[in-house]
Amino acid sequence: MKKILIAEDSNTMRSLLVSTIDSLEKYEIIEAASGFEALRLLPREQVDLIITDINMPDINGLELISYVRNNPNYQDIPLFIISTESSDKDLEKGLALGANEYLVKPFDPLKLQELIGTYLG
Amino acid sequence: MTGVDNAIGKAAKDFLAEAEEIIDQLSLDLVALSDCADGGDFNPDLVNSIFRGAHSLKGLAGMFGFTDIAELSHNMENLLDSLRLGKVSLSQNTISVLFESMELLGTLVQSAGTADRQLHDISQAVARISSCVCAVQKEESVSPLAKLGLSERVLGSLTEYEEHRLLENVKKGRRIFSILASFSLATFDQDLGELTDVLKSAGEVISTLPSAGGGLESSINFEILFGSEKVSAEVTALIDRDNITVMLLGGESPSPPAEMQEMVPSLAPEASMTAKSMSRTVRVDISKLDELMNIVGELVLSHSTISQLAGRMRLDGYSAPSIELTKAAKGLERKLTELQKGVMEIRMIPVGQLFEKMARIVRKISREQGKKVELKMFGADTELDKLIIEDISDPMMHIIRNSIDHGIETPEKRILAGKDEKGVIKLSSYQKGNHVVIQVEDDGAGIDIEKVKRKAFEKGLIPSLDIQDREALDLIFLPGFSTSDKVSEISGRGVGMDVVRTNIAALSGMVDVESYPGEGSSMIITLPITLAIIKALIISSVGRTYALPITSVLETILVERKDVRTVEKKEVIQLRENTLPLLRLGKFFETEAHGGQQENFYVVVVGAAEKRLGMVVDDLLGQQDIVIKSIGETFKGFKGISGAADLGDQRTILVLDVGGIINEAVRGGA
Repeated sequence: MKKILIAEDSNTMRSLLVSTIDSLEKYEIIEAASGFEALRLLPREQVDLIITDINMPDINGLELISYVRNNPNYQDIPLFIISTESSDKDLEKGLALGANEYLVKPFDPLKLQELIGTYLG
Repeated sequence: MTGVDNAIGKAAKDFLAEAEEIIDQLSLDLVALSDCADGGDFNPDLVNSIFRGAHSLKGLAGMFGFTDIAELSHNMENLLDSLRLGKVSLSQNTISVLFESMELLGTLVQSAGTADRQLHDISQAVARISSCVCAVQKEESVSPLAKLGLSERVLGSLTEYEEHRLLENVKKGRRIFSILASFSLATFDQDLGELTDVLKSAGEVISTLPSAGGGLESSINFEILFGSEKVSAEVTALIDRDNITVMLLGGESPSPPAEMQEMVPSLAPEASMTAKSMSRTVRVDISKLDELMNIVGELVLSHSTISQLAGRMRLDGYSAPSIELTKAAKGLERKLTELQKGVMEIRMIPVGQLFEKMARIVRKISREQGKKVELKMFGADTELDKLIIEDISDPMMHIIRNSIDHGIETPEKRILAGKDEKGVIKLSSYQKGNHVVIQVEDDGAGIDIEKVKRKAFEKGLIPSLDIQDREALDLIFLPGFSTSDKVSEISGRGVGMDVVRTNIAALSGMVDVESYPGEGSSMIITLPITLAIIKALIISSVGRTYALPITSVLETILVERKDVRTVEKKEVIQLRENTLPLLRLGKFFETEAHGGQQENFYVVVVGAAEKRLGMVVDDLLGQQDIVIKSIGETFKGFKGISGAADLGDQRTILVLDVGGIINEAVRGGA
């Protein structure tokens, strides 16, 4: 089963992401409530896809993307940003850092499922 | 897609809970921010935290289609964004607009929970927010960041806010340092936490950029941007660690620019505002509700007096006025019951709030312990008195800590035992008569009964190893008992399950434990729904009058002297298929050594959780509503008394703590 790491500090948003993906019944989900936790989980789990928020305490989403893209172990993992439309500049930076896709909150569950399918099959 | 739809239904509930939590936090932060501003201070962390709150709320509300909440928080977010990026200064007017918007948000979220939700008009609030944002639009500042010589990688991963903070630090003439640290992957969070704590005491941590360490599998590097007034040598001395290097960016000490951005709140003229509050809710101090409840209690007592009086009048032959008085008293009773119910309902909050708190604790502890734990909640809408919920949260937390610390095994051990590597803690709550039961179950290793027995024996808590398993389990509640092989930071020493039991008993509650070796254990907490007014059975024993909470009374029976047998020096009777131990209150309280010479006497069968006891009493005096009053710290040590109550005829009697008496009796063999 392929593994998806979700880094998102809002419990509700995270559980919404989880249930959206869970309903596909195809993937294992690893939850991180902060960028920090994501950093800790990455080496422990063989992650196939990362979905991250941008605004998080401690390590923010951009820093996480930069870390992932500059680490030979993880640089090929597909990565989606999920953030609000207000942080345009941050979103651009995220894409520049190498995020593959972005979704704007409130996100469309079907769109997310479709994107995941495209990347993970 | 029904899976997703269902999940969204549940998530909508989560949303409300989280939204309320966010708003509570926002209000606190806002008060702190306003206090800061009053002192002429500007706290960027607070503004950022409020911004993040509004930001999350917007995203969440949008997700669930609460357009008004989303729009209002979106506008607040704009204002806060301008504030944190220094585009708008923090004036009194801005603060009051923020407060007002927050209050409206609270109202919106509350009404989001109701079925017939109506859209609120938020246009006025939005207009006021916009006027703040437009008021001061500062021109974009030219970036002086270039001369810092930041790498592309660092610049590329700064969020807009971090960039702004960097600029602010430069403007204030602070030195900007790049601090490179290399940590082991196993301990980096603690190490980094310690480092940032030290740094924060001497300046501002602007960003923390992680990068792969030399050994990809074992280490991780961080590049921290740090702004401070200190010089390189001071910062280096402050950190004093080998694996950390400090580098000053952009050369030594730039002098503070002339146009320094002062963030002192300016007292802008108050914008036209209505004095009318937009909120439909009132926040009330719980002590006011307590007072109200006390008055209701006194009224209940007065009613009892009137009823008794009516009864006496009838006996004295004034039957006509007695009947009228009885009728009036009945009417009064009905209204009193409604009043009592009303006041009680105000105090009731769903157990879910407590569960949410526990969810955070579970996450935290399981992370610290390196265990995987999933929390499941059931019956979160069961309601309990707010005060009880507050007082139960510490014992609950301790039970949960114990479950994770001692119960749930490490992922490796769980896999070996053929279990899912993720442990499950199940919190459930339901109402049972006048009680609410809260159950904490885990699917861990269960309690090692043999180990418990040995430990208790070694500590001299039991005379021999020959005791029933059921009784052995109860030993964990004895003071000073702990089976942990090593002292854990989590369960600690000192505080044990005995404190949990004492705290729960102080709420007239009971805690019981069940354990299934290899399958898990379960703590069952039984609590009264409210502590305020209870129905009691008034009894007399050896010349004294006591009140017994009716919720603990199972039945009363008339027993003949000859039916009493003695087993192991304890008096017992046969009650249907069970043996019921008897307790003489005179002996228990050591007010009278012997008694029970009568041929027939009443036994009140009381029970708490799964335990039963027969109390020998001289007489049953009747049922009555009583208000339990505390008897103060001095008498707190007395076992078996939970408080005192006024009977309404100038007599004050003691209220028995059934749970406490049963525990004492079972242990001491009274």
